[in-house]
Amino acid sequence: MLIYRGLSRISRISKKTSFGRRWLPSHPLLSGASHSAAAAAADSSVKDSGNISLSKTREAYSWSLPALHGIRHQIHHQSSSVIEEQLDPFSLVADELSILAKRLRSMVVAEVPKLASAAEYFFKMGVEGKRFRPTVLLLMATALNVRVPEPLHDGVEDALATELRTRQQCIAEITEMIHVASLLHDDVLDDADTRRGIGSLNFVMGNKLAVLAGDFLLSRACVALASLKNTEVVTLLATVVEHLVTGETMQMTTSSDQRCSMDYYMQKTYYKTASLISNSCKAIALLAGQTAEVAILAFDYGKNLGLAYQLIDDVLDFTGTSASLGKGSLSDIRHGIITAPILFAMEEFPQLRTVVEQGFEDSSNVDIALEYLGKSRGIQKTRELAVKHANLAAAAIDSLPENNDEDVTKSRRALLDLTHRVITRNK
Amino acid sequence: MLIYRGLSRISRISKKTPFGRRWLPSHPLLSGASHSAAAAAADSSVKVLGCREAYSWSLPALHGIRHQIHHQSSSVIEEQLDPFSLVADELSILAKRLRSMVVAEVPKLASAAEYFFKMGVEGKRFRPTVLLLMATALNVRVPEPLHDGVEDALATELRTRQQCIAEITEMIHVASLLHDDVLDDADTRRGIGSLNFVMGNKLAVLAGDFLLSRACVALASLKNTEVVTLLATVVEHLVTGETMQMTTSSDQRCSMDYYMQKTYYKTASLISNSCKAIALLAGQTAEVAILAFDYGKNLGLAYQLIDDVLDFTGTSASLGKGSLSDIRHGIITAPILFAMEEFPQLRTVVEQGFEDSSNVDIALEYLGKSRGIQKTRELAVKHANLAAAAIDSLPENNDEDVTKSRRALLDLTHRVITRNK
Repeated sequence: MLIYRGLSRISRISKKTSFGRRWLPSHPLLSGASHSAAAAAADSSVKDSGNISLSKTREAYSWSLPALHGIRHQIHHQSSSVIEEQLDPFSLVADELSILAKRLRSMVVAEVPKLASAAEYFFKMGVEGKRFRPTVLLLMATALNVRVPEPLHDGVEDALATELRTRQQCIAEITEMIHVASLLHDDVLDDADTRRGIGSLNFVMGNKLAVLAGDFLLSRACVALASLKNTEVVTLLATVVEHLVTGETMQMTTSSDQRCSMDYYMQKTYYKTASLISNSCKAIALLAGQTAEVAILAFDYGKNLGLAYQLIDDVLDFTGTSASLGKGSLSDIRHGIITAPILFAMEEFPQLRTVVEQGFEDSSNVDIALEYLGKSRGIQKTRELAVKHANLAAAAIDSLPENNDEDVTKSRRALLDLTHRVITRNK
Repeated sequence: MLIYRGLSRISRISKKTPFGRRWLPSHPLLSGASHSAAAAAADSSVKVLGCREAYSWSLPALHGIRHQIHHQSSSVIEEQLDPFSLVADELSILAKRLRSMVVAEVPKLASAAEYFFKMGVEGKRFRPTVLLLMATALNVRVPEPLHDGVEDALATELRTRQQCIAEITEMIHVASLLHDDVLDDADTRRGIGSLNFVMGNKLAVLAGDFLLSRACVALASLKNTEVVTLLATVVEHLVTGETMQMTTSSDQRCSMDYYMQKTYYKTASLISNSCKAIALLAGQTAEVAILAFDYGKNLGLAYQLIDDVLDFTGTSASLGKGSLSDIRHGIITAPILFAMEEFPQLRTVVEQGFEDSSNVDIALEYLGKSRGIQKTRELAVKHANLAAAAIDSLPENNDEDVTKSRRALLDLTHRVITRNK
């Protein structure tokens, strides 16, 4: 009942990186680095110890970024599978995630049994996917772990640490609730679109349930937020809801100029995709009692990761699982949503703009646009931009205050690994 | 675009008591009090303390008497007691703030925003009125002020925070209406998927979400976590109430308890919890906060019960002249529930549903034969009196503004009962 577009979006999010599948797509940008650079990076990055050369890695990142991004990935691929296993970000937090999932599930079912159909939608997302956002947040929580100095005795320290962890898990739950609520509300439009003119009971109930279920989740998020008793965090996450609405409105109500503007597109993408993750990362940092600077680094990580994610998402909508055009679902363009690859192509081929303005209800326009896209460097430029943001995210992690704790280091490496995965995923 | 039912609900709320129009509907319960009671009440009801005694016996009749007495007293006193004029200036400041906030940030949500404005411009702004009056009624005098400047600054800051509660309440209220309209929209335009319809639905949902997020940000700015929790709970109650209404089993639909619980969630929770929030911001004790809560809750319940009656009677005292929109939407309200207690066969009709309009006629027939309307009014009066009792139980305060506000709050408990539209 609840919707094609939403589900396809969900499945695109959830299938982003299957466990253990790590490989290097044959993309010009991500290969072809010089040997010397490879050698230099090889020396510095294989030493996988805590006091590594966090600074060396930073330098390594600062030149020939896209190429080195690929090199670093190649090296990981060649290193021992034991290290790989340890670095899988999702397995690091898998246990916690299932606790969170159970909590959310019982809450929805017990309280509002009649919203079961919408709840199922919510569950499917939880069961099928890798729970990308909560994973990032839980990893960030560990990565920012502030050691309690001179603990009185283990009991006290544990209690404090546990309470902090619970609060941070709460942020992850709240984020998930806000995310699903926004998807459910977005589905209200899609329902009407796809079933234009057909007023079946399912259609009516679907809309009602979508709105109510979304409201229910939002209200739960509000109550949970209130329970954290931290007004800055409440403000951050309330702002996220506002951004989600603004982003969706921007997408719905664009003028012709706005639709063809890269700035407008990036702003909208920030609102719709990156704001949730960036602000919740920042909230994690604030709950951990970190400084304002660290909070900003956490924010920057989330923001750039989110942007990189969405840009690759845009590419995959055209390319699908192959590197060539037209094999993707093409759902964005069919819905008249102009994404980064087309925007870049329009810079090279202004005549493409005319096609865009005609709209894409006529599928022959889709073919024409794909033709221009293929001739242009639109896909490549989008990938480059994604890599740039992924590297900015990685740089933010590298700039975090040094911490030799094993869990902290593992989590930070996992966060770095995620910046690779968002770039290299193929579905 | 945005919707009949919602707008009619709005207009019912907003037109509840036009300025200065005070009259006694010719209802058996509200007239026919004895002369001696009238004389006794006349002396005592002018004093606030006297009201409590006056309220404690023969409640419905005295309710009418008190109202009659006000009607006969000088128009100067009447003018002073008009609750809405007491806070009119503040309300327009609030309205301006809300308006500028919605327009500046999201210009494309203008159509949904208009809906919001219309409500603010046309109506009497019932909820914010109650809250601002409550804020004054609970005014805690700052003891031994250092100098006027300090006292003023503190008082101003408190007032601003309380105004904020009123704004937040309005945002939450309108957000819930916008979302409810989506549900009704689907109902009333079944099968017709015009672009306006689509934009209307989506915009309504987005606009509601936007207002809700604004409310949350504003709440956070108050830096009072108890208040945040109170109003977050309200949002949850609104959703629960709407869900209860949508997804009832047959037994639940015919249960008065279930109906009152749903009515609390959908209508009274917002006002009761925001009254309580006002009290908490004012630094009042827990007991006073509970009194404020009780006032809001009972006022809200009384309001909704009369609303139910008016849906059947409209502007006349007789049945069938109202819009009948509740029953046509299959929503079973208090009058029908009472009638079902007297005529169990009515339940069969209810269970068949009301898509067939002949069932509506049958139900109206039973309703007319029963005491459903009367019993609902009685219940409304009972709640209105509980609300008044809460105000009378507030700690004594001789400040003129405080007294005026409390009298205005009492006056509101009359108006919700006696309104005819």
